[in-house]
Amino acid sequence: MPYRIEVLAHNEDGRGLQIQKALQTMGKKTTVRVVDVYTSANPKAKSPEFIGSLANPVVQKAGIAPPTTLDVDFDWALEIGFLPGVTDNIGHTASELLTLIGADNDNECYSSRLYLIKGNIKKEDVEALAGEISNKLIQRISIKDQKSFKKDGGMEAVLPKVVLDNKGAVADDVNLNAADSELEKIGKDGIQNPDGSRRGPLGLSLLYLKAIQDHFKSEGRAPKDIELETLAQTWSEHCKHTIFASPIDEIKDGLYRHYIKRATKEIREKRGERDFCVSVFSDNAGGIIFDDNYLITDKVETHNSPSALDPFGGAITGIVGVNRDCMGFGQGAKPVINRYGFCFADPRTSPELYRNSSKTEKILPPANIMNGVVRGVESGGNCSGIPTPQGFAYFDDRFVGKPLVFVGTIGLIPRTINGKPSHEKKALPGDKIVVAGGRVGRDGIHGATFSSVALDEGSPATAVQIGDPITQKKMSDALIKEIRDLGLYNSITDNGAGGMSSSIGEMAGQSGGFHVELERVPLKYPGMAPWEIWISESQERITMAVPEKNTKKLIDFLARRGVEAHVIGTYTDDGRAKVTWHNETIMDLSMDFLHDGLPETPLKTTFTVGGSKEPDLKEPNYGASLKEMLGRLNICSKEFIATQYDHNVQGTAVLGPMQGPGRVYAEATITKPVLTSPRGVVLSQGLFPRYSDIDTYHMATNSLDMAVRNVVAAGVDFNHLALLDNFCWCSSDEPERLGQLKRAVQAIYDLAVLYGTPFISGKDSMFNDFKGFDANGKPVKISAPPTLLVSSIGVIPDVEGSISIVPKEIGDLVYLLGETKDELGGSEYYDSNKQLGQNVPKVDGEANRKLYAFYGRAVRDRLIASAIAVNHGGLGIALAKIAIAGQMGLDIDLSHINLRTDKALYSESAGRIVVTVAPQNKKAFEKCFGSLAHYIGSVAYGEKLNIKNILKEDIKALEEAYKAPLRDY
Amino acid sequence: MSKVMVLAGYGLNCEEETLHAFEHAGLTGVIRHINDLIENPQELNDVQILAVPGGFSYGDDTGSGNAFAQKMKLALWDHLKRFVERDTLTIGICNGCQILTNLGLAPPTGHDYGERLVAVTYNLTARYQCRWIDLKVEPNNSPWLAGVRSLHVPVAHGEGRFMMEPGTLKTLQKNNQVALTYVKPDGQPANGEFPFNPNGSTVDIAGITDPTGRVLAVMPHPERGMFTWQRDDYDRLKDKAQRNGQKLPLESDGMALFRNAAAYFEISKKKTA
Repeated sequence: MPYRIEVLAHNEDGRGLQIQKALQTMGKKTTVRVVDVYTSANPKAKSPEFIGSLANPVVQKAGIAPPTTLDVDFDWALEIGFLPGVTDNIGHTASELLTLIGADNDNECYSSRLYLIKGNIKKEDVEALAGEISNKLIQRISIKDQKSFKKDGGMEAVLPKVVLDNKGAVADDVNLNAADSELEKIGKDGIQNPDGSRRGPLGLSLLYLKAIQDHFKSEGRAPKDIELETLAQTWSEHCKHTIFASPIDEIKDGLYRHYIKRATKEIREKRGERDFCVSVFSDNAGGIIFDDNYLITDKVETHNSPSALDPFGGAITGIVGVNRDCMGFGQGAKPVINRYGFCFADPRTSPELYRNSSKTEKILPPANIMNGVVRGVESGGNCSGIPTPQGFAYFDDRFVGKPLVFVGTIGLIPRTINGKPSHEKKALPGDKIVVAGGRVGRDGIHGATFSSVALDEGSPATAVQIGDPITQKKMSDALIKEIRDLGLYNSITDNGAGGMSSSIGEMAGQSGGFHVELERVPLKYPGMAPWEIWISESQERITMAVPEKNTKKLIDFLARRGVEAHVIGTYTDDGRAKVTWHNETIMDLSMDFLHDGLPETPLKTTFTVGGSKEPDLKEPNYGASLKEMLGRLNICSKEFIATQYDHNVQGTAVLGPMQGPGRVYAEATITKPVLTSPRGVVLSQGLFPRYSDIDTYHMATNSLDMAVRNVVAAGVDFNHLALLDNFCWCSSDEPERLGQLKRAVQAIYDLAVLYGTPFISGKDSMFNDFKGFDANGKPVKISAPPTLLVSSIGVIPDVEGSISIVPKEIGDLVYLLGETKDELGGSEYYDSNKQLGQNVPKVDGEANRKLYAFYGRAVRDRLIASAIAVNHGGLGIALAKIAIAGQMGLDIDLSHINLRTDKALYSESAGRIVVTVAPQNKKAFEKCFGSLAHYIGSVAYGEKLNIKNILKEDIKALEEAYKAPLRDY
Repeated sequence: MSKVMVLAGYGLNCEEETLHAFEHAGLTGVIRHINDLIENPQELNDVQILAVPGGFSYGDDTGSGNAFAQKMKLALWDHLKRFVERDTLTIGICNGCQILTNLGLAPPTGHDYGERLVAVTYNLTARYQCRWIDLKVEPNNSPWLAGVRSLHVPVAHGEGRFMMEPGTLKTLQKNNQVALTYVKPDGQPANGEFPFNPNGSTVDIAGITDPTGRVLAVMPHPERGMFTWQRDDYDRLKDKAQRNGQKLPLESDGMALFRNAAAYFEISKKKTA
């Protein structure tokens, strides 16, 4: 009989008040009490020590059920708990408490939360609330009215234990001597079980399956299921980046080698002695020089598909996953900064779209996706003690079925450790394979293959995982802060997509083979089949290559830090990828075939420029239009995200996300990762997905210029600046989409080489499409606009030279650097008029390079008091943000711009920065920039933004327009 | 030389910058994993200053600071009690504050350590808040706050709301144990108003002490406001100094607590000498 410990919170609990608020927005007046519930079958669970350890008597009352001792007046009871196998972090901590007070063996404890709601509401209302605050993919819901609650003695005690059929735990042969149609089925829906069901998508094309068929024919045997699953993981788009690697039109070496890698190579060669890149594209993250003693590393990942199904789980798994990429750089870098970027549909809408034709599986409303994703990164980043200052949220309704969730982590590592370069590592033959961290469960099976296809009806719920940041934090602290410098391991890497099949498979490339004894892998619950263990993406695991003599010391050390680690095999040099299961060989592939056996798939592309005729718009009332523009989702404040993210932990924040007394959400941030060094890391990002509707070439160059210009404006050294690329494309099996891709990649090659800013790391996600059904059950496909996110990371030699967006003193002069042109195609302004237009901004790289070099000189001479890059929404928005940030008036004259007023205000021409300058620096400033600087006015007394002959608006009114739209999320 | 011990492990995460603060103030110290301290609790005998830093011990599960406090209580209680009863200093910052209150080290109203009298619980907004706030130093007995009148430092927490029985509050106020309160930038009481009081804390409480004042539990982060370059208004201070040809001071408000800790032991050393 399981015990339920029910902990009733006091009646003003903040969590209860928020539920009341949610019900209030549904028009229901209620009071809500919160009960934290812990369920366990262990007899110790009923001990006063355990119950006492779960409740703070000052504000909570604990009791043991069943029957319930809750003495509260309510009308409805709503309980939300986890489904079997879903990561339950609270339950995990309760289990540890149970162990602390002396429970042995079965100490499993599960958490759930009970809401007792008093008010005149119907069951439908409670169900609607449950839909808002839970996700049926991972959680169970039970609802009772007061009468049945009383009659039953409370809610049922539910133990969501995983029980698997042990008979499945063998490796099966798969018959590939089948018709093409059957092979295609295997590729799309997975290997067939004896009962006819399928195991989930392999994502293997017919071409690939034929190559595998041939290979096993020549071996004279059928492949085992685990072999086929391994090839599917290793050859997946997610792991091999086949689209970037394949020959495409005349480019025989593929887009990645031909453009991205070559750009970096050429830039590094040209820089020669001044090259600051240390490790590019070859490791879990890219690494550049920070100062004489340290490297900084950077990696930006996406976690889009899982976040569409479980926004919280997808996002938290994404952020703690990219933290591990940092830990897996070289000998292991310490995570020092997180960053984020989200692309959502309008959270104020709720489109009726379904995953299936029978309309039973509705997609999550955009607000739920946004809130879940924001919370996921909050929990992952905050719990890990890594500051998360820099990020953005971008909105376009085409992200409705599949949001984009970008997560990045910057790391810090000494340049040499024990006298050796810290970025080098090599697993040696004979080294033991040690896996540390969490245990393996069924969570995250087929994550890699799943993210390489479009989201549709068959998308597997098992691909959903929930990160456990504390388990990872314990491991990270132990490995990076204590063990790394002892030199106990030869190589280290993250367990990410594809699980051990990928991490061990890749690391074995260093030694030349591996032998894993799969039964040694610790499991969350018994009964998993070998192939499931091998490809599971259960989180918080790190793989190491450890000389045998060090294994005991390493594993013992980790145990003292509460981290589990096991030897599960040996790295070899026999060229074989071998897995055994209780001494039976279940996988024996040649390393060559595993890594290089996939056939080349030459790609063909087409391209047509998009866009429509330039619109002929009526001139608006400029005061009203500026406020409307400020309230647009892509422009308005995202403070609700910034304040939920701990951006000053580690004590390293210099320039945060919220700037000035008026608190404007800034696009660049500065962090001082080494407290005793004056140097700072400057971060920003750039993206313009809507420009892809006209021409992806300019979408890409504008994204890159924005990422660069934002950090230049903040004071970065333009000669110490690197970039990361994240392509989130759609329908990448269509020639036209591939043509758009080819242009975008060419574009960033062109501009990066011109700027001399190398790419150090990148990642792509090629199928951001939603395939589902509309309100009438008709099939629909919604493709995300082709999106390139460029992330910038630069070093500022002394944070004293940092520049915020906040104007400093009345009387300071305002200048616009750069040219404003008739470039509103794809702009926020045209979009607000439901127009696309044709004149997409074109980046003048030569002019910008010159401007940014001058700017660097002005920064060195401390000539600039504040600066803001002109991006989404144009000059009008930049000026409004300056006034709001400083809570200071501006007197502006834009008559030097020879365009109609709305175009002058809202053109999104690239390469522009608005700066304020102290009067005593006027001469030196103007000399520095010459004709590139346009004097446009001054910081003024009064509380108005005054643009001569155009508008005169109260700053408070602008601030309200800027802050209102997302304030209450 | 006085020795500082900063605890670490199980999700505590501000140990490095907290130790840095003490070291900057001239003290020496170590970061000690809780499991190592449990293995060798005698080490506390050589320690004069114990810091439980900020973080997310056990992910805040079962209530912030609760599980870590349970672990300490079960394994270390006698040692801890002896430590705070000696002439030592103890500070709990943020998660450390939540741990100290769960342990009943702050605030006993009499001299008996160990009973939970206050809760530091969910913010009224039920949301994590990271922002700069202003604090007033109330009349107090704490060496940590000697000579300090106000502090401009950040908060970063999801559970920072002090709650207690009215009787407890009365006693704390009477004993000068309510050491820090949230105020508006002009120094007027926040009166529970968000965001000046970021969590809805009872009578704007941000920090409390034990009756001796040697144990301080504080939700805001002095170590994140110890240098001028950490401040949210650094850009404006820096600009002003540049215009006036002045140099900005390196240290900011938060450093005062760590300097006070150093001074406390120099003074007591002189006494014994």
